Amino acid sequence: MPFSRKSTLEKIEKAQQSGARDTAWSALGVGEKLSLIGVGVIVLIALVGPAVMPYSPIIPSGGQLEPPLSSGHVLGTDVLGMDMATRLVAGMQRSLFAALVVTLVSAAIGTLIGVAAGFKGGWLDTALMRFTDLFLAFPAMIIAMAIAAAIGQSLGSAMIGIIVVWWPLYARLVRGEVRRVVALPHVQAARVSGVKGWRLLWRHVIPAITPTVVVTASLDIGAVVMTLAALSFIGLGTPAPAPELGRMASDGMKYFLNAWWVAVLPSVVIGLLAFAFNYAGDAIRVVLRRTGV
Amino acid sequence: MADSPVLTVSDLTVTYRGRGRVVTAVSDVSLAIDAGRCLGLVGESGSGKSTIGAAVQGIIPADGKAEATGRISIAGRDLTPITDPAWAKVRGADVTSVFQDPMRSLDPTMTIGRMLNRYTGSAEASVAALERVQIRRAGEVLKKYPHQLSGGMRQRVMIALALAPGPRLLIADEPTTALDVSVQAEVLSVLRESIEDAGCAVLFVTHDLGVARHMCDDIAVMKDGVVVEAGPAEDVIARPTDAYTRRLMASRITLDTDRARPVGAPEVAVVASMEDVLTQLERPELDVAAAWQSGDLTWDAFAGPTAAVGAATGLDHVTLVGHVTRPSLAVNEVNKTYSTRVRGRRVDNHVLKDVSFEIGYREAVALVGESGSGKSTLLRIAGGIETADTGVVNAQGVAGEGTQVIFQDAGASLTPWRTVEELLRERIEHTATGKGKTRAEMRAMALSTLELVGLDESVLAARPTQLSGGQQQRVAIARAVVVPPSVLLCDEPTSALDVSVACSVLNLINLLRHSLGISIMFVTHDLAAARLIADRVLVMTGGEIVETVPAERLAQDITTDYGRRLVDAVLA
Repeated sequence: MPFSRKSTLEKIEKAQQSGARDTAWSALGVGEKLSLIGVGVIVLIALVGPAVMPYSPIIPSGGQLEPPLSSGHVLGTDVLGMDMATRLVAGMQRSLFAALVVTLVSAAIGTLIGVAAGFKGGWLDTALMRFTDLFLAFPAMIIAMAIAAAIGQSLGSAMIGIIVVWWPLYARLVRGEVRRVVALPHVQAARVSGVKGWRLLWRHVIPAITPTVVVTASLDIGAVVMTLAALSFIGLGTPAPAPELGRMASDGMKYFLNAWWVAVLPSVVIGLLAFAFNYAGDAIRVVLRRTGV
Repeated sequence: MADSPVLTVSDLTVTYRGRGRVVTAVSDVSLAIDAGRCLGLVGESGSGKSTIGAAVQGIIPADGKAEATGRISIAGRDLTPITDPAWAKVRGADVTSVFQDPMRSLDPTMTIGRMLNRYTGSAEASVAALERVQIRRAGEVLKKYPHQLSGGMRQRVMIALALAPGPRLLIADEPTTALDVSVQAEVLSVLRESIEDAGCAVLFVTHDLGVARHMCDDIAVMKDGVVVEAGPAEDVIARPTDAYTRRLMASRITLDTDRARPVGAPEVAVVASMEDVLTQLERPELDVAAAWQSGDLTWDAFAGPTAAVGAATGLDHVTLVGHVTRPSLAVNEVNKTYSTRVRGRRVDNHVLKDVSFEIGYREAVALVGESGSGKSTLLRIAGGIETADTGVVNAQGVAGEGTQVIFQDAGASLTPWRTVEELLRERIEHTATGKGKTRAEMRAMALSTLELVGLDESVLAARPTQLSGGQQQRVAIARAVVVPPSVLLCDEPTSALDVSVACSVLNLINLLRHSLGISIMFVTHDLAAARLIADRVLVMTGGEIVETVPAERLAQDITTDYGRRLVDAVLA
């Protein structure tokens, strides 16, 4: 008896709907969920933190170099007697705001140029990409330093310096994506049905590249935080007493041996920011891929 | 021991858990194959046939997403359906496999010789192994890498590799589906002879009953995870007892299929607007199935209701009467050359050489040819996707209504984030007919066209990813004909579909041609489908049209070498 036919078609189990609803959230791993929660907490602290802290970040409020857990100063004070916790929260706000602006502006410029080059093609593509290559050819950090040094010491000039070296990456990325998407069957089919120009771009091409840009940008925020801190560390941010994490770390280095916290705490916060956004970028990628945009 | 089957599967049930659902892929299946026998596992997509193929190779991953119960025994060794370390001794030794896509299963970094020598031990033995699968100049082939071989050659190498360890059981999972039809027959005969020599048991997974009949001693037909019918191949094919098997059989089209009537079993072939058509014909009581069988109802019956279709879609230029002398599509001395640079030197590939032909009003013309014959390039030029280097293509019709294209991969041709209504409206907006139409009017047009292609209102708000393959192809067709073009260009619209779905799409194209009065250009390498759709069949090789044959007398009149091979490739 080579075959047996135990079941009939009626016996086929219907797909069972299990109790848990199938959301994007459920597709995430524990680490990814934690990172998203972490980013939420960081953003919350950065938004409301400075308003609820009892001290001013730029006015001395206690003794010099008081260690953490001393009365009234949970994380101690720095060499001028300013409260570390207040300065760290303020520094977080500045870093985060600056990183967001730098990433958004870079992504916007890069996307604009990349879409124009990839969609139009021809001489415009060549011209824009040569222009982009020009920026990519120089070492990014050196250019950012040169620009920031030329415009003057401030957070704004550091941000401009980073934007100048950051957008070409998006231009390259977006141009490649647009070229890929334009060759896909659904864009050709849309062309055959008569769609062209802006409508073709807006309805059939842009939605396909948005996830890539969003994921790249969210991964980049961490890197921009690090770069801004590095520029500030070597003295190209706003001068003291402005609460800038990089500057605080470099200033604290002088007292490292007898007051570790003034150098270590800002560095830890920088690391946390970069780490959380990096991980959250991954989580966002998972979510976007799932929803199949 | 000697008489016991090589492969025994008892009470195999496999379920997959994913996205919060539990899907039963295989339900309570038992089967057995003796040494030297070939069992064909036949079914459409989602029938569970490939899951069984995976289970008997022990490659269902133990990642917690799949659960399986039942017993598998291979050559007297008891194994679990889910992969575990015990499988490592069996896989690649007692059990080997040939997959659909040899490019994915061959290691691209190794020469054929290096892969084969591992089993045969010496170059001489490898040459002999390749000669057994009828590869000539085997010594040269041994030095090549997989990408340097053609698809048919790769699959032969794959067969040689699979048989080299002397397996007791060979799994062949759709081994010829990805090949050109003309190559398919050769590879099948090579496989048939090789396994007869080797004397191993074979599990042959396929969606094609014709292929199964040629290859297998026994056939098991699967649907929704259950074996619905099983037995000796000739019995199953000649006297199918199960309704589903009968439907699968009826969905096979050959060179003898009646062209005047819809194909497939009646229940598959019923078009959604059939009732409307019968009402228009003033024969609402007509028994459709019986009428098809007797020849009482033919495609010409649909010519009458065309005016009604025109009224429903709001298009006054849909007419079927009158004599039109000018061709709907005229292709005149078209040339196309692609240039690539190989090591700095320009290499020209002249894909179209002075191609000329015409498609008359309401005429259907099929273009057949193997991959690389230039047939798809010709269609893309006619559709305005590419431009010809020299030559002229002229389509009748006002701006934007000359030609429309239906692509092979309907799913990929629909923008995934736009709804069906948006896709159809977009098409209407970009034609002269759609100028000045309100949203409500366009929605009405979209709706009546969807009904015409056998879909209903519910898909209007759906996105393409929520639809099945057949539904996607219907939506793609609806978009193409919502404003009827003069010529509908079809680029292998059925080759990616299951046979029963393919039949209904062929019927739909035929219906649209007769009811909307459009001409058809149908590009394919399936001669049976070409014959069914077209009045004339043009055979293309090497960028030239080498012969034109009337569809009625296709099998008799075709003379060119390639044409004859295509005729032979249509398995009866």
